[in-house]
Amino acid sequence: MSGMRGLSVFISDIRNCQNKEAERLRVDKELGNIRTCFKNEKVLTPYKKKKYVWKMLYIHMLGYDVDFGHMEAVSLISAPKYPEKQVGYIVTSCLLNENHDFLRLAINTVRNDIIGRNETFQCLALTLVGNIGGRDFSESLAPDVQKLLISSSCRPLVRKKAALCLLRLFRKNPDAVNVDGWADRMAQLLDERDLGVLTSSTSLLVALVSNNHEAYSSCLPKCVKILERLARNQDVPQEYTYYGIPSPWLQVKAMRALQYFPTIEDPSTRKALFEVLQRILMGTDVVKNVNKNNASHAVLFEALSLVMHLDAEKEMMSQCVALLGKFISVREPNIRYLGLENMTRMLMVTDVQDIIKKHQSQIITSLKDPDISIRRRALDLLYGMCDVSNAKDIVEELLQYLSTAEFSMREELSLKAAILAEKFAPDLSWYVDVILQLIDKAGDFVSDDIWFRVVQFVTNNEDLQPYAASKAREYLDKIAIHETMLKVSAYILGEYGHLLARQPGCSASELFSILHEKLPTVSTPTIPILLSTYAKLLMHTQPPDPELQKKIWAVFKKYESCIDVEIQQRAVEYFELSKKGAAFMDVLAEMPKFPERQSSLIRKAEDVEDTADQSAIKLRAQQQPSNALVLADPQPVDGAPPPLKVPIVSGSTNPESVARSVSQAYGTLSSIDPQTPSPDLLSDLLGPLAIEAAPGAVSTEQHGPIGAEGVPEEVDGSAIVPVEEQTNSVELIGNIAERFHALCLKDSGVLYEDPHIQIGIKAEWRGQHGRLVLFMGNKNTSPLTSVQALILPPAHLKLDLSPVPDTIPPRAQVQSPLEVMNIRPSRDVAVLDFSYKFGTNMVNAKLRIPATLNKFLQPLQLTSEEFFPQWRALSGPPLKLQEVVRGVRPLALPEMANLFNSFHVTICPGLDPNPNNLVASTTFYSESTGAMLCLARIETDPADRTQLRMTVGSGDPALTFELKEFIKEQLITIPMGSRALVPAAGPGPAPAPPVAQPPSPAALADDPGALLAGLL
Amino acid sequence: MIKAVMMMNTQGKPRLAKFYDYMPVEKQQELIRGVFSVLCSRPENVSNFLEIDSLFGPDSRLVYKHYATLYFVLVFDGSENELAMLDLIQVLVETLDKCFSNVCELDIVFNYSKMHAVLDEIVFGGQVLETSSAEVMKAVKEISKLEAASNSISLVPKSVSGWRGR
Repeated sequence: MSGMRGLSVFISDIRNCQNKEAERLRVDKELGNIRTCFKNEKVLTPYKKKKYVWKMLYIHMLGYDVDFGHMEAVSLISAPKYPEKQVGYIVTSCLLNENHDFLRLAINTVRNDIIGRNETFQCLALTLVGNIGGRDFSESLAPDVQKLLISSSCRPLVRKKAALCLLRLFRKNPDAVNVDGWADRMAQLLDERDLGVLTSSTSLLVALVSNNHEAYSSCLPKCVKILERLARNQDVPQEYTYYGIPSPWLQVKAMRALQYFPTIEDPSTRKALFEVLQRILMGTDVVKNVNKNNASHAVLFEALSLVMHLDAEKEMMSQCVALLGKFISVREPNIRYLGLENMTRMLMVTDVQDIIKKHQSQIITSLKDPDISIRRRALDLLYGMCDVSNAKDIVEELLQYLSTAEFSMREELSLKAAILAEKFAPDLSWYVDVILQLIDKAGDFVSDDIWFRVVQFVTNNEDLQPYAASKAREYLDKIAIHETMLKVSAYILGEYGHLLARQPGCSASELFSILHEKLPTVSTPTIPILLSTYAKLLMHTQPPDPELQKKIWAVFKKYESCIDVEIQQRAVEYFELSKKGAAFMDVLAEMPKFPERQSSLIRKAEDVEDTADQSAIKLRAQQQPSNALVLADPQPVDGAPPPLKVPIVSGSTNPESVARSVSQAYGTLSSIDPQTPSPDLLSDLLGPLAIEAAPGAVSTEQHGPIGAEGVPEEVDGSAIVPVEEQTNSVELIGNIAERFHALCLKDSGVLYEDPHIQIGIKAEWRGQHGRLVLFMGNKNTSPLTSVQALILPPAHLKLDLSPVPDTIPPRAQVQSPLEVMNIRPSRDVAVLDFSYKFGTNMVNAKLRIPATLNKFLQPLQLTSEEFFPQWRALSGPPLKLQEVVRGVRPLALPEMANLFNSFHVTICPGLDPNPNNLVASTTFYSESTGAMLCLARIETDPADRTQLRMTVGSGDPALTFELKEFIKEQLITIPMGSRALVPAAGPGPAPAPPVAQPPSPAALADDPGALLAGLL
Repeated sequence: MIKAVMMMNTQGKPRLAKFYDYMPVEKQQELIRGVFSVLCSRPENVSNFLEIDSLFGPDSRLVYKHYATLYFVLVFDGSENELAMLDLIQVLVETLDKCFSNVCELDIVFNYSKMHAVLDEIVFGGQVLETSSAEVMKAVKEISKLEAASNSISLVPKSVSGWRGR
């Protein structure tokens, strides 16, 4: 690195280049020169080689590809003298990557340098491996590097590099570090006096514990010791004191390592740590010196994260929030930035939201900060802290900010505002207001999802329709409106404009002229929407207005020869249809309600925000949803599907073309195949009609009501699998899986119901025995025949079902007892294969019997004197099993305790000193095990409620395993209708082909069969 | 983990760039340009943090410091503490200051090789290796000595005042 004249001259030549072109010429000349010299290797002295290689690196940094000379760089590594070797190492690690073939050639040289005695060579070699070493290096060098790291004779300079080199090798190949052998060594390394080595070792520890914290649990107290040493400023040399702070980096790293341990069990360690943390929280002030400020706050913010992770006592938490509240209003922008960021992370901690809300006005001020980084943080925080109570304020602030925000933020901003408005709207009209304002202010940044969603809401909520229509009408009066606004307005006015007919300026012809005024300025995709709206306006004009008809027909005529196929087709078809009178009315009737579903916006937001911090926000959002905006039930409560007009087209057109024209009448974009609607929102606009008009359905005689949910892609894996064609054409009432899950936790209720039959169940459990009674009630006025009930028993249960009569008379109920005995622990479930004939229809259902594992549990509450000896007696696998469960449905602790109690695993409060843990006990009964005590412990992570550690123990390995799995199943969100469980008898409403005669609501209410559930 | 260390001047010319994840040279240039275009539009007296997801992918952070005609930039992931990274820039700059007694852009330009040596003593494979500038100086001096001992052709003295005239 001492001066090289040639390099300096070259650099100054480059500096003197007037423009990029001159620079390129100079570089090319140099590269040519170097190339020639390398070809003539014999005359190349090591010094020259070194000089050229440096030039190459410089050229590389300037952005030119240097695709030769790699071999020369690598060959310098084996030079005997230091300067050449050094250049070889530095340049190789900059120019080559870990997969480069030449690198493999160097492995041996590198290894020789590592195991050699020359420390400076060792350093060079370690640096190379630490920067670009790949798997090959990992396999051949890991033991040597470990030796250097723990060697007592090596200087710290070498050892700290060895630590980080090992970290690289571990990342490339986790087997490079053998957990069993290394855990103790790692703990010893943390006793190191030299802070340089200690810092590197702590970095290594962070990587190791992030992979497997259990193996390194002995390092936990050592980390706390390190923190104590630094906090008390004991034995910290001057050179490691940075602006008066004892090595902030080491403090930060040690606290980071601690965050990978789920909890700290040892009370004295915990106490010591909290003392240190307390000292950091209390003892940090904002001072004048920027560097000192940064350093002390680096430590402070890390301490805050650790406190949050450990879910400290409430007092300490509120202390943290108070600190953060102070930070977000200080002058120092870095601290403000981090204050906001950490407050967002803090949201995941329960009980502090209210304190955070107190700072709302300050956070809103930060939305106007001159620094975009801070504005973004403020936006994230506002988004995260929004709930029903403050949604109105926050969303209105966001709308206001939207007009001044930079373009790069507008899309995110409008999406967030839309999501918050949807999630937390106090009332629906406010939601409509917000979205329309959003489109008005930032139309370019409002994605289609947003306006599709508002259309869905309006369609599904009748109360909202007149309001939305009048709002849409108001926006049309504006001189310049965004095209998206025109689309929404046109759609809404087409559907609901007639509701305004009595108001001034809202007659069909007035609506038409104000919309048509805008048509010349719109882009092609909007025209079809306008055409649909015109057609609808025309249809709603009763009695027909010949004037309007003339105008609209003129428009249709005009577009008949449009070059855009979509527009042309609509124009032609609407024109033809509008001459058809009654059929026209049917085709263009109001859109049916949309099936309820998760908002695609929210889904999108969740997809986007999958980083750790954000998921906490999401989680919280799930915990406190607003009920305000639940989509209105797509089906009336009595189960009768909404009436849907069916196109009855006489004469020439075949059903398929009608399907197309109809679907396009409602569609907004072209090229969507009605047979396979895409799963986005548009399919909702198309779906119901498209399926309805599928050839088969239209050609049948029955144009009965059709379930709005009968869209193919809506049918999840849950539909009953038809045994053969023409069977199972019944519509289920209620969700089978939900009924089953409910019955797992209670002893009587309805197991299955369809329009013809209801099956109820009632059970009593005593030890390993159970007695169930099935109640089968015929709801009809005609008999059910060929009734068959078969039990498919799993291996662990003995089941005895009394015979079921072949026929169930009209409006009668038969009872059939079922005896159950539990032979051994298992989570398998018995299945009832049930079938009957109604008229000519064969109906078959496979139903899970709720004789689940928990039914053989009896609640048992233990005291700590009883619990702990038993717990300790269970030494480990296979009697005691532990597992970290991820993807847990987030539950607050009391809720989780209730859940456990509900399946007879009794929570024993106060036994575990850590308030985040649950300890539970129960007795399990089976023939093979007899009565057996089972114990369980759940350790939750308050920072991440989606994961927990579970330990289950009992005197029987099979029981331990089965119980553990059972509890896990209960904790993990089981998607409803999971196909995996019992494929044949999944839950959910079946797709409904036309039902001959569904019972009317009145009949249902009067029908004694419907009351069966109550009787049971 | 630190993903990249960059030094560039206020005109956007890279003075030193080291990426700890391998990247082809075009990509490196693109990132340097991308970072510069954001940096140069930052006003004074704002925070030292930048959102950089669009350039470096999710969970990446950037801190920078502006000294006279130079930007010092660190890009890293969520496993590092932002303020500690800012401190690390300060350590790097203080070390350079000791190396060149009152470091200026030209020192950095003309002592390209030395810059690499200093940086390698502070950041190692994307991890913080040493935080004490005294220790870094010791290591760098040792290297200089070794070079001097075996390199008799060393010509240009440390001082680059001759070049500064330009």
